[in-house]
Amino acid sequence: MKKANKLKFNFQAILTDLLIWIYISGCISFLLNRWFELAIPSLYILIYGAVVSVIVMICGISIGRKVFLPTKRTNNKWYKTFWGWTVVLILLITFIVGWILVEVNPYKFFTKFKNAGGIMSGIFDPNLDLLVVSLTALAETIYLALLATIFAIPFAFLLSFFAARNLMPKTLIGNTVYIIIRSFATVFRSIEAIVWAIIFSVWVGIGPFAGMLALMIHSIAALIKLYSEQIENIDPGPVEAIKATGANTLQIWVFGVVPQIISPFLAFTIYRWDINVRMATIVGFVGGGGIGLLLLQQQQLLRWHNVGMIIWLIAAVVWIMDMVSAKVREKLQGM
Amino acid sequence: MKNIIEIKNLHKIYAGGTHALKGIDLNVKEGEFCILLGLSGSGKTTLLRCLNRLIEPTSGDIQIDGEDVIAAKGQKLRFIRRKIGMIFQQFNLIKNLSSLTNVLTGKLGYSSLLHSLAFSKNKTDVEIALENLQRVGLKDLAEKKIKNLSGGQQQRVAIARALMQNPKVILADEPVASLDPATANSVMKYLGELNKKDKITIICSLHFLSLARKYGTRVVGLKDGEIVFDGTPKEIDKKRFKEIYGEDAEEVEIR
Repeated sequence: MKKANKLKFNFQAILTDLLIWIYISGCISFLLNRWFELAIPSLYILIYGAVVSVIVMICGISIGRKVFLPTKRTNNKWYKTFWGWTVVLILLITFIVGWILVEVNPYKFFTKFKNAGGIMSGIFDPNLDLLVVSLTALAETIYLALLATIFAIPFAFLLSFFAARNLMPKTLIGNTVYIIIRSFATVFRSIEAIVWAIIFSVWVGIGPFAGMLALMIHSIAALIKLYSEQIENIDPGPVEAIKATGANTLQIWVFGVVPQIISPFLAFTIYRWDINVRMATIVGFVGGGGIGLLLLQQQQLLRWHNVGMIIWLIAAVVWIMDMVSAKVREKLQGM
Repeated sequence: MKNIIEIKNLHKIYAGGTHALKGIDLNVKEGEFCILLGLSGSGKTTLLRCLNRLIEPTSGDIQIDGEDVIAAKGQKLRFIRRKIGMIFQQFNLIKNLSSLTNVLTGKLGYSSLLHSLAFSKNKTDVEIALENLQRVGLKDLAEKKIKNLSGGQQQRVAIARALMQNPKVILADEPVASLDPATANSVMKYLGELNKKDKITIICSLHFLSLARKYGTRVVGLKDGEIVFDGTPKEIDKKRFKEIYGEDAEEVEIR
């Protein structure tokens, strides 16, 4: 093993152990606090974790060492090793802390069903008089999702070429462009559409336009990732052949790359529209307009029969979109 | 006859450290049908790809048709490339486009982006493309998508695409390695015809000595990135064969 690599693996091993043991000591302190009302200062939590990790590291029995550094192959069963029991400890303690934090309460689940009686009766007896109003709002949601997808396509299409490793030259400029666009896409995608909706409902006011902008931004980022991964998976052969004819870079992209990606691109775009219709409902909740907004209003007015009507419609649309998009994508695969 | 390709002291060392070409010196005369023989990994593919700079050579000098290939950049390099047709083992056609469109891409080096986007509307371009398809006997399949063609037909479309470039040289990188013997022979026949009728210089890597004997005017043997044989196909006897392919090799016939 190279020296630099060994250093790197050692560093990773130590860091992993440190994090694991600080986490374990943090969890134990939390439990002590909950059960015995013992308050342990955070500095001590860190120190306990660090001390334990140093001890196990020195003894050479830690997980970090197991994962990152080569160990002699032993035929020990996991329950005869220290790291095996560490894993058990982590899983167990995570489960217990999780149970407490999430306030899991099976008793409530089985005894308080009658609280949901209103909404249940609403679902089984929807208010058909609301059909026309709901359909109007639903159309708003579907068109909103459609426009968000359509507006996202050209941006995502162009940018995806610059976010594809195999198309960007391995020069300083090529790498910079690639990294900037990739990070842009990752960051924007990791911000949920619902957060964008909150931003835009302040920016352009509550309504479907805000919802469309939110879904558009999110779709651009998501499609860049899907598109560029598709570009990275193309057969490099035809690209090479086109290059050999003396074609310039744009011609290589248009004739060597585009024909190979056009049908997967279409499939992804339709899939995205499908997702957008579903997200548009949620986005409506925070000011993005459409059926989501209507649902929120009716729920706050406790009009359960209207809520029931809306829920049925949303379910129907999602189901139909799902089927249609699956069928279309299936057809596109054969192309 | 003058030299159309002059290679001097060509080296290629890959990023991983593999020394694929160790100082190749080779001159190819106009009109030659030069066969490259050698085991996989002997440097045939690397040598062919260095000639049109699909692979960047590490050092050395290449002149093709009087032009310095190594020094060329941008448009200059593209203008050199369009004089050099290339044929690949895996055909490298765009599978979901028609044969005609694939052949038309051979014209890309001669056209602007706008012009090339309207290829199918351009009568002269389409006519030339159809003529070239006719030459390889595939005019009837012009509208067919590549993925519906057999391997042999695909390689013939690739030849038509190379012809579209009006090439002085054709580089063929194991053009028949993924074809059955009969189809292989017919593809080689078309290459031979281009060499004889159109006086196109051809450099072609092959695995089969029998095909080399039948079509080649000259054979260059490569081993571990060095030239170990250079002569006429007739000069290759058992001893020479073992020099190129190693002691354990036996000749396999293909007709």
